[in-house]
Amino acid sequence: MHVFQLLTTAQGIWIWIGALLTLFIFSFLFGDNPLYKFAEHLYVGLSVGYMIAIYYWNFFKPDLIDPLFGQGRIILLIPALLGICYFAVFIQKASWAVRIPMGFVLGWGSGVAIPAILQANIIKQIQGSLFTTQMLARWDTIVWNIIILVGVITTVVYFFFSREQKGVFKTISNIGIVYIMIGFGASFGYTVMARVSLLLGRLQFLLRDWLGVIQY
Amino acid sequence: MRLGEALSKIDRRIVFAFMALVVIVPFFLPLGILGRVSRPAQQVFDAVEELDPNEGPLLMSVDFDPQSMPELYPMLTSVLRHAFARDVRVVLMGLWVTGVGLGEQALNEVAPEYDKVYGEDYVYLGWKPGFAAVVLGMGKSIPETFPTDHYGTPLESLPMMQGIRNFNQVPFAISLSAGDPGALTLWIPYVQSRFGQKLGAGMTAVSAADAYPYLQSGQLTGMLGGMKGAAEYEYLVQQAGYSTAAMPAVQAMDSQSMAHLAIILLILLGNIGFVLTRKRRQ
Amino acid sequence: MKQTIPRLLCLVAGLVMIVQFFIPHSISETVFAESLRWVRIISAFALVLGVRSIVFHHGTKVRRKSSGWGYSVVTLVGMIVMAVVGLLGGVDPNAPKLIPTSIGTFSFHMQTLYENLMVPLGATMFATLAFYMASAAYRAFRARNKEATLLLIAAFVVMIGMVPIGSAIWPKLPDVAQWLLDVPSMAAKRGILFGVALGIIGTSLKIILGIERGWLGGGRS
Repeated sequence: MHVFQLLTTAQGIWIWIGALLTLFIFSFLFGDNPLYKFAEHLYVGLSVGYMIAIYYWNFFKPDLIDPLFGQGRIILLIPALLGICYFAVFIQKASWAVRIPMGFVLGWGSGVAIPAILQANIIKQIQGSLFTTQMLARWDTIVWNIIILVGVITTVVYFFFSREQKGVFKTISNIGIVYIMIGFGASFGYTVMARVSLLLGRLQFLLRDWLGVIQY
Repeated sequence: MRLGEALSKIDRRIVFAFMALVVIVPFFLPLGILGRVSRPAQQVFDAVEELDPNEGPLLMSVDFDPQSMPELYPMLTSVLRHAFARDVRVVLMGLWVTGVGLGEQALNEVAPEYDKVYGEDYVYLGWKPGFAAVVLGMGKSIPETFPTDHYGTPLESLPMMQGIRNFNQVPFAISLSAGDPGALTLWIPYVQSRFGQKLGAGMTAVSAADAYPYLQSGQLTGMLGGMKGAAEYEYLVQQAGYSTAAMPAVQAMDSQSMAHLAIILLILLGNIGFVLTRKRRQ
Repeated sequence: MKQTIPRLLCLVAGLVMIVQFFIPHSISETVFAESLRWVRIISAFALVLGVRSIVFHHGTKVRRKSSGWGYSVVTLVGMIVMAVVGLLGGVDPNAPKLIPTSIGTFSFHMQTLYENLMVPLGATMFATLAFYMASAAYRAFRARNKEATLLLIAAFVVMIGMVPIGSAIWPKLPDVAQWLLDVPSMAAKRGILFGVALGIIGTSLKIILGIERGWLGGGRS
């Protein structure tokens, strides 16, 4: 039988281990239990250990150690020293120094984000909402783009909380709610697909790779 | 217990068992229903199909980890099959540190099917920290951002990376993303907007609906949404004769369909029970 | 000083990056390119915080023999084993470093451990959600008013239309679902995107200008 034949090969033993760990996680459906806790804690530990190894081989060695000590690029000492400030978290009295690299990275990230978000999520999106000659070529694209424009404006109005929603403002806002409900409904439908897909992936592994009762 | 209450208070274990049955049975009794390929998925396929093997490589970013693997991994392998079948070179990278192994796994699985040689037909750059600093750095210089590949080999010694300076030499990039960092939060604002890079995306279904504004504005050239998107791409690659490999996402679609129907049924039952209970109280 | 230096760094870095975006001069580009390298290096050291947090939390549990300390041992052992195998065995299974990564045909290379331990565990972690989601949707999703009903209908259309059975039930259903995603849903998402984008810009400005100081941590220093 396929499932027992697996135990005769190295890869097969790994499949058995993977299947058991999968079942340990699934056991949570029957309530929290030692098998699930074991698997969960193992995953956390393995993930952190893996990160340490990847950080070293993919970054520290080629991007810091080799250029600094192998090629003599001393300027890299500056960001390295800033990064070493993170180690101050181990020293109670000096733990404030952790804020130094944090401040630099946060400031840098915020500064870079502002023009990027402005360009991608506001300007380009406004451009996408405008009517072009291509859109005006067919009656259906005209109608759909009117619906889109109305939807975008009314949705933005709905989220404008600084002003009291009454009169015309409230009517526009209510139209926005219709669009938002459709949007959230679509998201929910997609979320159902996502959650079910994750289950199907694991079932395929158990039924196909481990038990061998289904083929592709 | 009255009918209304009975319908809205089915034991949780029965619901779990019902769901398990509904998803497992189609694996043994497939319905064989073939859906239609959506327009966004077709756009991604067409973009890869248009790539000239003699020009720059296809860049793919593995922006997910094992938690999203069932949805995004089939996308990764089917796009790789498509590219390799057409002799398009591939550069793979990742922005999620816990997803690095998935990129390697996919290349180890697919490259031998097409006798592709590492360094000549494909390269795995691996991962770097810094999120926006990585992709912005690639826009300036890919060799400076990734001085070596994932295995520590200097990039300049890899034949296919000769002449690949930055995104100007990359005709099409695809981000397979499960969230942040990913297509919507990084590749679109920092790469597509700043460098005009032609960009496609594979998204988990959770965030697929959020990608439509970018599809409509042209910032995204196609999108594969969830496991359905993966199934569509697998189907397209097989129909075009590029692959005879197994299609796990396609196989799962029958179970996916039945699960959706089952959940709709459960929601309807709950609402019927709710209405009946409310009427009785009135 | 303990707050001033970080806030000053934040301000300078932020303003320089905003201004740099609009200046195509070569000096500006050089500063930008160098800053990218610095940020990557500094970001990498943040690993220290994550590792310290895990080791401290679980190490304390083991030291005090608190409830469930055995599981903390599992975490620490898993972390050490994976880190040792990865650091000393290297990333290339064909070119091991300081330690061998296989005995005969049995491999325990980092990539093998990743594919056979981390992948099953990680991939299954959220697989159970399908059951809880079905149960929660059954129990809580009620069409109590017009808005909720509209949400439910849109959800049903997408759930059926975007899977193969949709086209078997009604050939036009996938088109209706696609229209829903392309038009009204997209419009709502775009409106929300504007709000989120403005929020991000506002928060970024507040961080740069020192108005938002949550990242400095609590307490006086």
